[in-house]
Amino acid sequence: MFGLANPARFMSFTRPLTPVLWAIAAVLLVVGVWLSFAAPGDYQQGDTVRIMFVHVPASTLGLGAYAALGVSSFFALVFRHPLADAAARAAALPGAAFTALALITGSLWGQPMWGTWWVWDARLTSVLVLFLFYLGYMALRASIDDEQKAARAAAVLGLVGLINLPIVKFSVDWWNTLHQPASLLRAGGSSLDPVFLAPLLIMMAAYGALFLAIWLTAIRTEITRRRVQTLRARQALEA
Amino acid sequence: MPDLDMSPYAAFVWPAWGISALVLGAVTAGAVSASRKWKAELKRLEDDGEAMAQAAQSATGDQK
Repeated sequence: MFGLANPARFMSFTRPLTPVLWAIAAVLLVVGVWLSFAAPGDYQQGDTVRIMFVHVPASTLGLGAYAALGVSSFFALVFRHPLADAAARAAALPGAAFTALALITGSLWGQPMWGTWWVWDARLTSVLVLFLFYLGYMALRASIDDEQKAARAAAVLGLVGLINLPIVKFSVDWWNTLHQPASLLRAGGSSLDPVFLAPLLIMMAAYGALFLAIWLTAIRTEITRRRVQTLRARQALEA
Repeated sequence: MPDLDMSPYAAFVWPAWGISALVLGAVTAGAVSASRKWKAELKRLEDDGEAMAQAAQSATGDQK
């Protein structure tokens, strides 16, 4: 596993893996979308239940991508490993996109079901804070010219943001919220009817594969960009 | 068969799916296009480097 920390070995290992992940994501998305619209409407929520099939995977991946960013930041900060820094940087944009989608689709689900687009309850607010951590991370990296200093400052911010993940996850248990409690990962098993569980799990797998494909592609791109910078510097010295 | 009649919630269901498709499509396109751009730039620099090395080699050969 740690052998993959070598950028050259990582590049050769992920070269065949990346297109496979893109293909898995595409197939799962097609099947997931089909099953999402083939499922019947919920007896209480009607067709708005179909928003769940894009909202829950987006929320899960928003959290998962930040976990990847935070753990990579830890390795970048402690071991100063360039691949860990590339992995943290590559997780930021897709993670921010998934979190933004969780907020937008949640709002579109909240209006017909709760009668409001937004409330400042613990779950919604902590997810908004998660989105702001992503924006802060990307803004910090972009605002410092020295790449090493930018990487170190962003890694500290990335680590601090990890504190927010359990707050997001357990906010519905720790406080009274308008948002419903966990219905998938909870003691006693899922409370979802199997007719909704199957499309939801497939959509979650599709989003997961899509995130991995985007993440690996972005890490490979970051390694290539750094190689380009090194070559440019070398050629400028030789010229 | 999928039922695409979302009434009376079409104004909420379709935007949720549409925005999801749009954002994920944009992130995917961005990742793929950045990958192609830097791969092409690396290839160009490597080709330039090889050309420079060959030129240097032939120049030292001429001197001999």
